[in-house]
Amino acid sequence: MNKTLLIARSEYLRRVLTKGFLVGVLLAPLGLVLLFVLPAVLGSLSSDDAERRVAILDESGRLYEAVAAAAPERFAVERTAAPLDSLRVRVLDERLDVALVLPASLLEGRGEASVYGRSGGGLTQLDDVRDAVRGAVRDVRLADVGAPDEVQAVLAERPRVRSVTVTEDGDAADGALLATIIGFVVGFAIYLLMFIYGQLVMRGVIEEKQNRIVEVIASSVRPFELLMGKVLGIGAVGLTQVVAWGVLGAGVLAVLGPVLALFAGGPAPPPGAGVAGGVAAGGAAELPFDVGAIGALLTPGFLTVLVLCFLGGYLFYAALFAAVGSAVEQESDAQSLMLPLTLPIIVPILFLQPMLDQPDSTLSVVLSILPPFSTILLPVRAIATDVPVWQTALALALLAVAFLGAIWVAARVYRVGILMYGKKATFGDLWRWVRTA
Amino acid sequence: MALALRLDHVTKRYGQTLAVDGVSFTAEPGRLFGLLGPNGAGKSSTIRMITYITTPDAGAVTLGGVEAGPETQRRMGYLPEERGLYKKMKVGEQLVYLAQLKGMERVAAERSVRAWLDRFGASEWYGKAVDELSKGMQQKVQFVSTVAHDPDLCIFDEPFSGLDPINADVLQETIVELRERGKTVLFASHRMEQVERLCDDLCLISQGRVVLRGTVTEVKARYGRDTVTVEFGGADGWLDRLVGGGAVRVLTRAAGRAELRLAGASPNDVLAAALAGGADVTQFGVHAPPLTEIFRTAVAEGVQGSRVVSSPTLDAETAPPPRVAG
Repeated sequence: MNKTLLIARSEYLRRVLTKGFLVGVLLAPLGLVLLFVLPAVLGSLSSDDAERRVAILDESGRLYEAVAAAAPERFAVERTAAPLDSLRVRVLDERLDVALVLPASLLEGRGEASVYGRSGGGLTQLDDVRDAVRGAVRDVRLADVGAPDEVQAVLAERPRVRSVTVTEDGDAADGALLATIIGFVVGFAIYLLMFIYGQLVMRGVIEEKQNRIVEVIASSVRPFELLMGKVLGIGAVGLTQVVAWGVLGAGVLAVLGPVLALFAGGPAPPPGAGVAGGVAAGGAAELPFDVGAIGALLTPGFLTVLVLCFLGGYLFYAALFAAVGSAVEQESDAQSLMLPLTLPIIVPILFLQPMLDQPDSTLSVVLSILPPFSTILLPVRAIATDVPVWQTALALALLAVAFLGAIWVAARVYRVGILMYGKKATFGDLWRWVRTA
Repeated sequence: MALALRLDHVTKRYGQTLAVDGVSFTAEPGRLFGLLGPNGAGKSSTIRMITYITTPDAGAVTLGGVEAGPETQRRMGYLPEERGLYKKMKVGEQLVYLAQLKGMERVAAERSVRAWLDRFGASEWYGKAVDELSKGMQQKVQFVSTVAHDPDLCIFDEPFSGLDPINADVLQETIVELRERGKTVLFASHRMEQVERLCDDLCLISQGRVVLRGTVTEVKARYGRDTVTVEFGGADGWLDRLVGGGAVRVLTRAAGRAELRLAGASPNDVLAAALAGGADVTQFGVHAPPLTEIFRTAVAEGVQGSRVVSSPTLDAETAPPPRVAG
C-alpha cells in the first residue's frame, strides 16, 4: 500500500474507532433534536393528548352540531341543557373540563360565547374552541343568508404567503429568511469544522513530536508523506462526521417537519386536507417558511460546491496548522503562531450578514472568490443568490492554487520543524526553514 | 542478505555550525560497529543522515552500494535515543503499522511482530495500549519496532539507557544474535564499557570529525600497554605520593585497588613504590588503557589538533538544537 494512504488509514481508524467519535456524531444532532423538538413534543404530549370533557349549552339551538364537528378529536363533546350554575359546579368538581355557553345572539352578530374552565388549559385550548365557534357561527349565518357554496368555500380559504427568490434557473426557492438561517448555519458549520479539524491535525503533529515517535516515522517515510497522510486521514474523519450528520440530519428533518408544524399551529392538517388545511382543522398558523423548502435549497450543485469548499478550506488550513504544530513542542506554545491562521477564518464570519443581505455587491463577489475567505463565503453567497458559474469555477481554482501553495510552505516548515527541539520557533525561523532547500 | 554501510566524506552544516565534517567509515555485515562521541559530537546528526531523515550537504551515505533514500530506509531499523511510541495505540496494532511503513505486508508484519513479542515473553501485550505498560516494557516494544521488519542494518542509539540489568542482558543477547545472523549493527553510545564489551569496530567522533577509527583490538593496541592495575592490602600512602609526584594518573581508585595510567613512570617504578610504601600487593598487571581513557585522550587530541578552520560561531537562530548532536 502507498505509504501516504497507509498513514491516512491509520490516522483515520485511530480516531474513528473511538467512543469519543461515536459520541460526537450522535450527540450533536441529538442535542439539536432535544433543543428544538423536545419542547414541542412535550408540549403536545401534555396538553393535546389528554381527553377534554366539554359540555355545550347551546341557547341558539342551531350551533351545537357545527361546533361539535369542528372541535378537535380530543374534545369529548356533549350537549347540555343544565343551568349555568350546575355546569360551574361540575367544572369545579372536575367532572367537566370546559363548559361552553353559546347565546342565541351569536347568530345575530352580537353577543359572545363564554368558555368556563378551571385555570390552565392554555392558549391552545382556547384557540381551538375559538376557531371552532367562529367557523360554526360563520357557516350557520352564511347558510341563513343563502350564500352560495362558492362563497362559503372562498371564505373558508386561508391563503398562504411565501417569499420567493427569483433565480436564473427559473426555480423559485423559498424565502429570504430561510436563506439567511441556512446561510448562517452553513457558514458557522464550515468555520467550526475547519477550525476543529485543523486543530486536530495540529494536535496530532505536536503529539508525535512530544512522543518522539516522529523520528522513527521519519526514518521510514518522507516527511511529506507523513504530513499528507495525516492531513488526509483526519480530513476523512471530518468528512465521515459531516456525512453522518447529514444522514442523521435528513432523518431528523423528516421528523422535525411535522413536529414543527405541530409546534407552531396546533394539530397537523389531516392527510388529504391539503397544505391550506381547512376551517375544520382550526387553520394551522403559518410558519415563516416551508420546512420542505430546505430540501429545495440544498440542490446537488450547491452541495457539491459546499463539499468542495469545505474540503479545500480544510486542506488549506490543515496543512498550515500542521506546520505550526511541527514548530512547537506543546500546544500552549502554538497560540502566537496560530494567530495568522485564525484571523482569516474569523473574518468571513464577520461578513456573513452583509454577504447574505447584499450577495451581489462588489465586496461580496470579491470575498466569495478570494481564498481562503471563499471557503466559507462562496457557499454562503450561493445560498443568497445565483452565483455565476465562472465565479464559482474561479473561486475553486484559486482555492486549489492556495492549497498547493499552503502545502508547499507547510511541507518545508514541517520537514525541519518535526526534528527541532528545545527552542521556541518564531516566524523568522519558520521563514528561514521555508527558504532553505 | 548482508549489506555494508558506508559513509564517504559526509558533511552536514546547520547554518554556521558544521555538525558533521567529512566523516567516513564503513560498518561491515556481521560485525558490531560502535559509533562513539561525547555529547554534541555529531553522532545524532550522522545517524539522521544514515537513516535518510536528513541528507548530507556533501559526501555520500550508501547501504549495500545504494545511496541513502526511501529504498535504504526499508532495509534499516532505527532505535532513537529518545524513545517514542503512540501512547494510546495498541502494542500489536502499532508494531504492525510501523513495520508496514517499512514496506512489509500486513500479514507478514503481524506474524513477525507476534514472533518477536513471544520471544520477549510479551505476547499478552499485543492488545494493550502502550501507556498501560511500564517503561521497561515500552523499551522492549520499541526494540521490536526496530527489528520486526527484519532490517539488514540495525541502528541502536543508546539502547541500554533506562533498562534494568536483566532486560539489558536480554537486549544484549538479541543484538549479538543479530550480528551473528549477518546483520550490520550500528551502536551509538558514550558508555565505553558497553562498547568495549560488545563492539568489533569503532569510530570515535568529536566536534563532527573522526578522531579514531578501527577494530577495538587495533585501537587499543595503538595506545600501547601504559596502564597498570594494582590490587593490594595495607597502607595506600605510597599511592598519594606517586600521584603527587606526577608520575602516574589515577583512572579508578577504590579501597585496595587502583588503575593507573603511566605518565613517565615505568610499571616497575609503580610496583617498587607500592612495595616500598608497605603495601601488600596481591595482584599487579600491565595492560592497554581502558577505552574510556582512550576516548578521553583522543577527544583531547582531536580538539587540539587540526582545527585550523575558523571555529564555527554559534548562530543562535540556526544552530542545531541541543539534542540534535550528541
